[in-house]
Amino acid sequence: MAKIEEVKANVEKGKAKLVPGLVQEALDEGSAAGDILQTMVDGMGVVGEKFSTGTIFVPEMLMAAKAMAKGVEVIKPLLAGEASNNLGTCIIGTVKGDLHDIGKNLVSMMVESAGFTMVDLGVDVSTEKFIEAIKANENVTLVACSGLLTTTMPAMKDTVEALKACELNGFKVIVGGAPVTEEFANEIGADGYAPDAGTAAVKAKELVTAA
Amino acid sequence: MLTKKQNLLETINGGNPDRFVKQYEYMDIILEAPKRVRPIKGETILNEWGITYSWPEDQLGAFPVHDDEHRVLKDITKWKEVVKVPSVEFPDDVWAPAIEHANAVDRDDKYVTVFYASGTFEMTHMLMGMEDAMMGLYEEPEYMHELIECLTDYEIRYAEQIIEKIKPNALFHHDDWGGQIATFLSPDMFKEFYLEPYKRAYKFWKDNGIELIVHHSDSYAATLVPDMIEMGIDVWQGVMTTNNTPELIKQYGPQISFMGELDSGPLDVKDWSKDAIYEAVEKACTTCGKEYFIPCLTQGLGFSSFPGVYDCANEAIDEMSKKMF
Repeated sequence: MAKIEEVKANVEKGKAKLVPGLVQEALDEGSAAGDILQTMVDGMGVVGEKFSTGTIFVPEMLMAAKAMAKGVEVIKPLLAGEASNNLGTCIIGTVKGDLHDIGKNLVSMMVESAGFTMVDLGVDVSTEKFIEAIKANENVTLVACSGLLTTTMPAMKDTVEALKACELNGFKVIVGGAPVTEEFANEIGADGYAPDAGTAAVKAKELVTAA
Repeated sequence: MLTKKQNLLETINGGNPDRFVKQYEYMDIILEAPKRVRPIKGETILNEWGITYSWPEDQLGAFPVHDDEHRVLKDITKWKEVVKVPSVEFPDDVWAPAIEHANAVDRDDKYVTVFYASGTFEMTHMLMGMEDAMMGLYEEPEYMHELIECLTDYEIRYAEQIIEKIKPNALFHHDDWGGQIATFLSPDMFKEFYLEPYKRAYKFWKDNGIELIVHHSDSYAATLVPDMIEMGIDVWQGVMTTNNTPELIKQYGPQISFMGELDSGPLDVKDWSKDAIYEAVEKACTTCGKEYFIPCLTQGLGFSSFPGVYDCANEAIDEMSKKMF
């Protein structure tokens, strides 16, 4: 097996200690940094699918994301200036009135693994804060709103409506969280919906590349 | 008419209940007993474990603060130096209201019930944050086992105290093991880390006078039911509709009972609907049946977030008892 394939396999297995060395060996074998990054992105895609189908669980997904992050550290200096895998900036946050962060953090990791630069606003994020972040960051292509509580669904609606009504453009809005359904997402005018972190990464890429 | 306790026993033993058990009616939970310190609405506190808890005014509950400044345990390999296990011994005047409450309970009608929260799994992520607690299971499994054992020892020491003071008959134990559609851990990993510690803790409770263990996890956890049975859980409270409870009852009924099926998420809301609650109760009672099932909101205590919801569910259960018994 070529080293680059081993990189992918070990990202999928969440081998955070092994992946940096394998990435270096793949580079030594002559693989391009961009190709290595892409193979790790592909590996995370597999991880996302397995999470969505219940084959793996939260610890396995976290370990895979960590393995990828460790691998990216090795190739980061070589990727400077390369934009081939950059899908833009994603602003993410849990909506106003909701302090739950676990689901949002998992989505953030998976979306980052798909090729986005993440700006995590944390929890209890007001509409104004989302809009300020879009203004303050370059190349924002996606805004992701999370919410766990039924009681904060109106805040998600307000946020999405405000994002759509503001003078800013060039980004899509994706929503998710336990009480959120595709119907609700459509009703409030979101561009996309994902039921879990694995699907979120796939959907995020779809939304941005289709734009 | 059976007492609440008799009716519960008939229900969970597959006997002849004369009505549905109505949510938490069979438990008299002694909330006056000393337990984990939590903030009231609007407060931020440092609890006895050093965990910073905040309950903002606009929230339904308290949350641990897990940023770098506030997280208690940032490196699991140093848990022995960092985690300061609090004392479980409290002066008599602290126990007095709990003892008075327990003494006033008609034990023929209700179980004098200990409330224990948070459980071992939750405590690991309260101390470490969810991400570190989860990755620690892979990266430093030996240290995680040690921490879990320490938390179990703490629970047993607390059990010794409260059993001596109020002589409870039941335990209501919180530990959320999943989200809405999946468990946090794979069943294998759950078994590896949590089965034996829980068996040890629940055995201690049962060996010392606890007749009934009710475990709260308002989540999906259907794949953990065999472990729940092995641990000694009598009733799983908080079972959500995502678990396919009727199937669980068929498969495991004689060994464990299921309390829930009324998902608090969509039902316990500001503009709650009596029709929606009645519909959910009817569906729960007709699909789950009379044995090994207790219709209940999935919330982890006998009240609702929004006034009227809990009582409305009780009324709807009364209606179903009239129809089905």
